[in-house]
Amino acid sequence: MSTVTPDRILKELADLWVTTAKPPEGESHEAQAGGVLRACSMTLIAFVDDEENSMDLGETIAMLMRGHPSRAIVVRIREGEDVLESRVFQQCWMPFGQRRQICCEQVEITTSADHLCDIPSIVTPLAVPDLPVMVWLRSKRVCERGEYGGILPLGGKLIADSSHMVEMAISTLMAFLNAGHTVGDLAWTRLTDLRQLIAQLMDTKKPASVLIRYSGEQPRPEPRYLEAWLTQALPETRVSLERDGNSGNAIVMVRVDEDLEIDLHHGGADYRSGSMKQTAKFKADTDFDLLDEELGITVHDRIFEKALRAVAE
Amino acid sequence: MSSETARVSAASPALYDPLRFNRKTPPCAVVIFGANGDLTKRKLMPALYRLAFEGRLAPGFAVIGMSRTAMTDDEFRDRMKEAVKKFLEDSPFDEDLWRSFAQGLFYRAGDVMNPDAYGELKRCLEEVDTARRTASNVLFYLSTQPSQYAPIAEGLGKAGLATGSGWRRIVVEKPFGHDLESARDLDAHLQQFFNESQIYRIDHYLGKETVQNILAFRFGNGIFEPLWNRRYIDNVQITAAESIGVEGRGAYYQEAGALRDMVQNHLAQVMATVAMEPSATFSADAVRDERAKLLRSVRVPKPEDVPLIAVSGQYGPGRVGGEERIGFRQEKGVDPESQTDTYAAITFRIDNWRWAGVPFYIRTGKELPKRVSEIAIQFRSAPLAVFRNNGTADDDASVPNLLILRIQPEEGISLKFVSKRPGLGMTLRPVSMDFNYGSSFGERSPAAYETLLLDAIVGDATLYTRQDMVEASWQAVQPILDDWASRKFDFPNYAAGTWGPKAADEMLARNGHTWRRP
Repeated sequence: MSTVTPDRILKELADLWVTTAKPPEGESHEAQAGGVLRACSMTLIAFVDDEENSMDLGETIAMLMRGHPSRAIVVRIREGEDVLESRVFQQCWMPFGQRRQICCEQVEITTSADHLCDIPSIVTPLAVPDLPVMVWLRSKRVCERGEYGGILPLGGKLIADSSHMVEMAISTLMAFLNAGHTVGDLAWTRLTDLRQLIAQLMDTKKPASVLIRYSGEQPRPEPRYLEAWLTQALPETRVSLERDGNSGNAIVMVRVDEDLEIDLHHGGADYRSGSMKQTAKFKADTDFDLLDEELGITVHDRIFEKALRAVAE
Repeated sequence: MSSETARVSAASPALYDPLRFNRKTPPCAVVIFGANGDLTKRKLMPALYRLAFEGRLAPGFAVIGMSRTAMTDDEFRDRMKEAVKKFLEDSPFDEDLWRSFAQGLFYRAGDVMNPDAYGELKRCLEEVDTARRTASNVLFYLSTQPSQYAPIAEGLGKAGLATGSGWRRIVVEKPFGHDLESARDLDAHLQQFFNESQIYRIDHYLGKETVQNILAFRFGNGIFEPLWNRRYIDNVQITAAESIGVEGRGAYYQEAGALRDMVQNHLAQVMATVAMEPSATFSADAVRDERAKLLRSVRVPKPEDVPLIAVSGQYGPGRVGGEERIGFRQEKGVDPESQTDTYAAITFRIDNWRWAGVPFYIRTGKELPKRVSEIAIQFRSAPLAVFRNNGTADDDASVPNLLILRIQPEEGISLKFVSKRPGLGMTLRPVSMDFNYGSSFGERSPAAYETLLLDAIVGDATLYTRQDMVEASWQAVQPILDDWASRKFDFPNYAAGTWGPKAADEMLARNGHTWRRP
């Protein structure tokens, strides 16, 4: 097994920029006037299990780079064989009609679970100075081991998805929140459009009751978050959860008193208020769309934190 | 209820999440006069649809279109659908959403010069208010000939539509008059029925992301403002160049000209944004007070100085990329002896402590070599050229620092400075540090009309022009207009596809400056 040192990775990154900036064989610097533009606004560290589809993940990160150019560090955790290795590369794109490529750095570290304890000492020096650090925690293995504390400096943000690993993610988020970190849960992010629609429709109302109907055996984090948010914002309103008897794991309907009903469907909702029936489009809930929203929030999200505490209780 | 009361009552409900939700918009009806016109189809309706697509409009929302053409609601909806599909930029068209959005579209045929039309509009607004729950808030959008602004305001006022139980606002498009006197007349007509806080004078340049970013750049960073004055800045050049001609708008353009069409409004506002003092807060009036103060500080030229500080131009035939281009006088609807300026270059001086002695050069024109809008801030050279006399530096070492704020295309900011070339010896070379708006934030920028329509709906007038600003900018250009109107120019004086008349270069040369080639 080879060793991985931050200095070597940093040198490889520096070499990569020199290589990218070189004009193609036979072309002068002047001829290649466009050149390469390095873009970086944060460090994004993604912990993923090795079974994850690397194509999907790579695509998500590449798309995120457009809105959140970053040094992306993907840590892949492999079961079994003893491994700790790294490689560096760039994500580049040429904006339409322009001569200059925009490039972001990406580091991929593959490690066996045994070497997780080495990761903080590798990743911490790789974080770009003076810019925010975002950690996207997708790996169950890392969650189980809890060996990630050292890589998140104070002020960084931890993003998990409690829809995938319900209790484990909630307890991890609570641990980080209690330690003073900023946290985000993609299960909460999935609710933004629905919450916004509810807020718009209930603007002047003080409803007596709100019913949230969900599919599946147990309420997943999303209905529980919605219940917590409504209960906290409208303390005099009775908010209740109800199973609809179907399989699945989604919120299917929200009813406010008897005069407003929101039926959720893929990609949006139909709502009926009095005689008016309208449609609302929701943004897609791919990892990219959800992370795009979360990476844009670098401060404490007090409304989410209150809902998280309520759900964790 | 006043507009201010309406705004406050809609703010900060218990469920509002300021970190994640769009800005809260109140329910309202938008009445578009000139609903069958080009602006409605190309800009307004696509902007409103896009706002609906992003969930930025309140559920209680409606549009009432009005123009002379006879049409049913459904025909209007069909036309608007075609227009949105055709002119929607960077966005998908969603049939389901359109169906929902189109339920809120209504149409009334009427002649705005006929008082009866306003009675019918009033009845329609009442029906729409009941059906769509628009809270009696109404935004009147005047997308008509400027000559109809005053009659429409009067018609609305006399029909009792300028006030109501909700807020009432009126949006007017430029031109706000064709000179200082007519601007005052127009305002007097509008203010007979609407007060200043209800009038939104739209200048779509101020809605552009990159123009707004000038404020963020200047006042959100600590390092530039100390340099932002006569001590460090040598001159400022604002360019708005178009690579096309009047494109069938010859008849309109002939009455306006470049100075009226671009300099008095858009570019004067851009200059004010670049040069204004920081406002104490980011409230609409605080920002507009500073812009207005700056515009009032612009030196009004004496008639005898006009030929020295202003250059008028008109394009003649030219050849661009193998294509023959016709001259302005050959355009359809244009007088073959036209004296209209298709190019204007002005040297403005700002008489305040910050800018005394710093020329602000503004130029705009049609049929120039490329489409570009930018602000170039040229800093003074280093006080001592230490690298010049050692025999190793090349001439580039004396290039002054330049800060370029690009408005379009490739919106962004570049800082040019010199750097040592790698290798032995001290050879310097200018390099550019670039911030590219589109690539640093890959998100779609809202179109100017989306920003401005939403602002008008929420009652935020920060990016709208106030009457004192309109008058101040007319005041600054009025002597130039008067001078040009009294002279007979030897037009055309520049060929299509070139950077304007030679006199514009000479104007800068008199101050020891040259135009930057964008």
